[in-house]
Amino acid sequence: MFRLALKMTLARAGRLVLTSLAVILGTAFLSGTFVFRDTINQTFDRLFSDIFRDVDAYVRSTTFIELDFGGEQRAATPIAVLDTVRGVEGVSSATGDIQAFARVIGKDGEPLGSEGGGPPTFGGIVSSDTAGLWTVDSGRLPVGPNEMMLDRATADNGEFVVGDTVRVVSFAGPREFTLVGVASYGDIASPGGATFALFDQPTASEFLLQPGFVDAILVAGDGSVDDEVLAERIDAALSPDLKLETLTGAEITAEVQGQIKDVLNIFSTFLIVFSFIALGVGSFVIYNVFSITAAQRQQENALLRAIGASRSQVSRALLVESLAMGVIGSLIGFGIGIVLSIGLNALLQATGFEVPTRGLAIKPSSFTNTLIAGVVVTVLAAWLPARRAGRVPPLAAMRETALDTAGNLSRRVMIGLGLVALGVVGLVAAMNDAPVQVLGLGVLGVFAGILVLGPAIARPVALFIGVPVAKLRGVSGSMARQNAARNPKRTSRTAAPVLIGVALVTAFSVLAASLRAEIRDTFGSAFTGDLALTVDARGFGGIPLTVTDEIAALDGVAQATGVGFTSVRIVDPGEAPTNNNASSEQVAPLPDLRGSFVQTVNPATISGLFDLGVTQGDITSLGNDGLFVEEDRATEKGWRLGDRLQLVRIDGKLVDAEIRGFVTGDTSFANYVASREMFADSPTPIFDAFVYIRASEGTEVGVLRDRVAAISSDVGIGSLQTKDEFIDERAAQVNQVLALIYGLLALSIIIAVVGIVITLLLSVFERRREIGLLRAVGMTRSQVRTTVRWESVITSLLGAAAGVVLGIVMGVVVVAALSGDSGIAFSLPIRDTVAIVIGSFLLGVVAAIYPAWRATQVNVVEAIATT
Amino acid sequence: MPEESTAYAARAVGAVKIYGSGDSEVHALDGVDANFERGKFTAIMGPSGSGKSTLMHCLAGLDSLTSGKVFVNEVDLSSLNDKALTELRRERIGFVFQAYNLIPTLNALENILLPLTLGRKKGDDAWIERMIDTISLRDRLTHRPSELSGGQQQRVAIARALATRPSIIFADEPTGNLDSKTGTEVLEFMRLAVTDLGQTIVMVTHDANAASYADRIVFLADGKVAGEMFTPTAQRVLEYLTHLGE
Repeated sequence: MFRLALKMTLARAGRLVLTSLAVILGTAFLSGTFVFRDTINQTFDRLFSDIFRDVDAYVRSTTFIELDFGGEQRAATPIAVLDTVRGVEGVSSATGDIQAFARVIGKDGEPLGSEGGGPPTFGGIVSSDTAGLWTVDSGRLPVGPNEMMLDRATADNGEFVVGDTVRVVSFAGPREFTLVGVASYGDIASPGGATFALFDQPTASEFLLQPGFVDAILVAGDGSVDDEVLAERIDAALSPDLKLETLTGAEITAEVQGQIKDVLNIFSTFLIVFSFIALGVGSFVIYNVFSITAAQRQQENALLRAIGASRSQVSRALLVESLAMGVIGSLIGFGIGIVLSIGLNALLQATGFEVPTRGLAIKPSSFTNTLIAGVVVTVLAAWLPARRAGRVPPLAAMRETALDTAGNLSRRVMIGLGLVALGVVGLVAAMNDAPVQVLGLGVLGVFAGILVLGPAIARPVALFIGVPVAKLRGVSGSMARQNAARNPKRTSRTAAPVLIGVALVTAFSVLAASLRAEIRDTFGSAFTGDLALTVDARGFGGIPLTVTDEIAALDGVAQATGVGFTSVRIVDPGEAPTNNNASSEQVAPLPDLRGSFVQTVNPATISGLFDLGVTQGDITSLGNDGLFVEEDRATEKGWRLGDRLQLVRIDGKLVDAEIRGFVTGDTSFANYVASREMFADSPTPIFDAFVYIRASEGTEVGVLRDRVAAISSDVGIGSLQTKDEFIDERAAQVNQVLALIYGLLALSIIIAVVGIVITLLLSVFERRREIGLLRAVGMTRSQVRTTVRWESVITSLLGAAAGVVLGIVMGVVVVAALSGDSGIAFSLPIRDTVAIVIGSFLLGVVAAIYPAWRATQVNVVEAIATT
Repeated sequence: MPEESTAYAARAVGAVKIYGSGDSEVHALDGVDANFERGKFTAIMGPSGSGKSTLMHCLAGLDSLTSGKVFVNEVDLSSLNDKALTELRRERIGFVFQAYNLIPTLNALENILLPLTLGRKKGDDAWIERMIDTISLRDRLTHRPSELSGGQQQRVAIARALATRPSIIFADEPTGNLDSKTGTEVLEFMRLAVTDLGQTIVMVTHDANAASYADRIVFLADGKVAGEMFTPTAQRVLEYLTHLGE
């Protein structure tokens, strides 16, 4: 029977490929993500193995802070350790390593490399030691405080040649160097598109970190002992007071590879989530296709039942078809996915991440996972229609027409309303601080309810939407309206993918609009100055404090203050080790290794210019050991004014800090505020991310802007904005994330359109007799096209209308649930909503092009002759 | 097989079938008693709405009675659940419909063997071979239904119905869609199946010529048995029918 079912399926191979489109698209994106991820992973794995080829041991500080957004910051290592390491038996060479912020200014005065989202800009050490990571490409190694090298890619991009003067900005401010050579990293011009300014060790330490310190020490062995033994010997030679550790070359390689993987996994998980949303939307299309197919084959299935096929045999025949569809669709999808991964790679290159590709990594697991996902989704989607097909009465073999009725409407309405009601209860609970899972279940309930209600509401709504169509397009429009309403079950199933896509897009746009409004409001009232210099450094580098001070000293500046961010470890006094339990031999627990962001401010200049949202305390009382805590965090931890917290800086220094006030924290993601004084003696420098400026009375903002620009462009850092521009940009940051989400949801929308195309094609096929008859009595080809087109538009708008309503409701609930007590005001994105509706209209038109053409190709004589 | 010992392949006892309710109530069968002898070719005739198709559907287990009983091989069909009914149709009953008899995606041979395939049975090779020769379509076995003429399609359908050597074959207007020449071919083949192969056939028809191939005709009118006729000729049937209308 399986063989026969397969044969019956393959006899309709043409239709099979068409109906597989939904599976193909979903699996293509999924496998594309898999292959893309593995390819990049493989590339970096090989790159770092290559780069650390000569590194046999790696010495670094044991003190570090994990950053909230992944990665870690580690304390600096004193350079004196280098001599100790070189003295260990088995060590052939050792060199310092630094990876710190340094920005190269191009010949046109613009900084090289991208600011913010792009790859970082580094400064580091280059030396002749075997253990060094760089190899000299041309010229020679830099010697002394006035010489430097660049990586090959940066030198080429900036059109620098040996002998040029290059301007570089570090935390210490701008400085000029003579370019004496160009280096490459392993065998590539630049790793990952980052820019590198390279110096000899003393210059790098002084300019990038702190004299006498490096980030880590790279060691090459003489080959006499294993790396493990070498690392142990070095470890033994180091004083425990220094808090250093020694890793083997293999360990540090694996760790760096792992870090890249972690970052990449976040990105690919995001992509995979959206692939599954697309597959979920696709499952509706598959469900619809099989429902229609089962209805069209009702007579055939009834005949099978009459001559002795059991219910499950008829069901199984359809499931075999879905299996074939899943397998074929996933196979094609996998092939397209490989092409797609090449495209993703090219896209990444285009945005500035130079990723050296060394062949695609196509893993067997990517193949099997794609196949499993595609097949499971397809077969599950076909399950219900297949079961229904099995229930066809054998007598139907003698009936002429296929019936696809809406079933028991009142029962459907009751179940649907019940689900919606349950969902609403969940949503209301979520708005009143229930956990986020309740929100998810609520959304799911409302979605499921609407989908169940679909067939019941599709007919009246389609008829309603169709009124103007019937008015404007005469008999064709009127028929389109009736066609959209004649099979409400099918119409609602076709509209469902549109509904899901539109609802998600609308919900995100509502959320984004509300966030934008909130950000505008917050920053609009917090910032009272005239100009803002900002840098989007994402926690790495920024505006040197010297630049901030220089701006503050400018003529015409009444007040200027810098705000930056750094990471610290906060030791909760409640979790600190206690000694009053003498019987316990427990070792003092390690403080939480996770870092917390601290806003670093200049208490002397901030008051009256930028409001941090202080609710209690005086900001000028911060000093070098004071801390302001965000209210919610303080409440959660039970901290009160005057409590003392242990705070560990990146360099490992312990600061005994006192809570001297509280802030609302609305303007920042950081939960703590400290004075920049607290970090003044840290070897790891801090930067400002924002400099807020107020013009003195009588000074034109435009004039002042030019003066500040002279300084900021001099160091090639940050963008200078007026207050309005600044607020616009804060709000627009939401749009970047929104654009990414829209892009990924576009895939779901495409699948929804494919669903409409397939349904229309099947409907046209089913109605070819009717179309033939209409043509026979005088309907023109263009009238036939119009009928199909408007049916498509009505279906699409039906989904869009329900989707917009649902999306707005979801948006409102999510905004309310997320904002909690702070109460973000809900804001409706009217422009976006109108765009979504117009977009759905156009999608309907586009989806109808091919089916409408097929409808005009119906042969009149044959169509009428068919029995 | 024990059931072969009984004289009747199928019978109806006090069969009543009512469609709808209240004012729109229709008595399709109004107390029908009829026996269908084993090894005979029986035709059921009657004007439109006389209940002949309903009687056949109920005898074949495709539809259920409102009251009364039908037996196939002395098995009360109302005592069977869907699974048992399905099995009965597959193993003991053959069907030939007016149209849409064949699965369009399977070729002629696959269609013939379908009931065996569904039951995961091998079948009797010699029997199948003999049948294929009888319908003289050996050179057409790998053709799809769309590549066969109407008469050829019906012959394939009858061969399919015969494939499991059922106790009884029900044919619903098997020649209704055919011209007289191919219709005759099909009827002669059915006659052959009864006379030479010892099969039992019950055929619903309103065509006097078709009915004349039967051993016996059962006449229905208004849901009741109106009479019967043995060894009919077309002429006598037409006369009887004219009578029946009076």
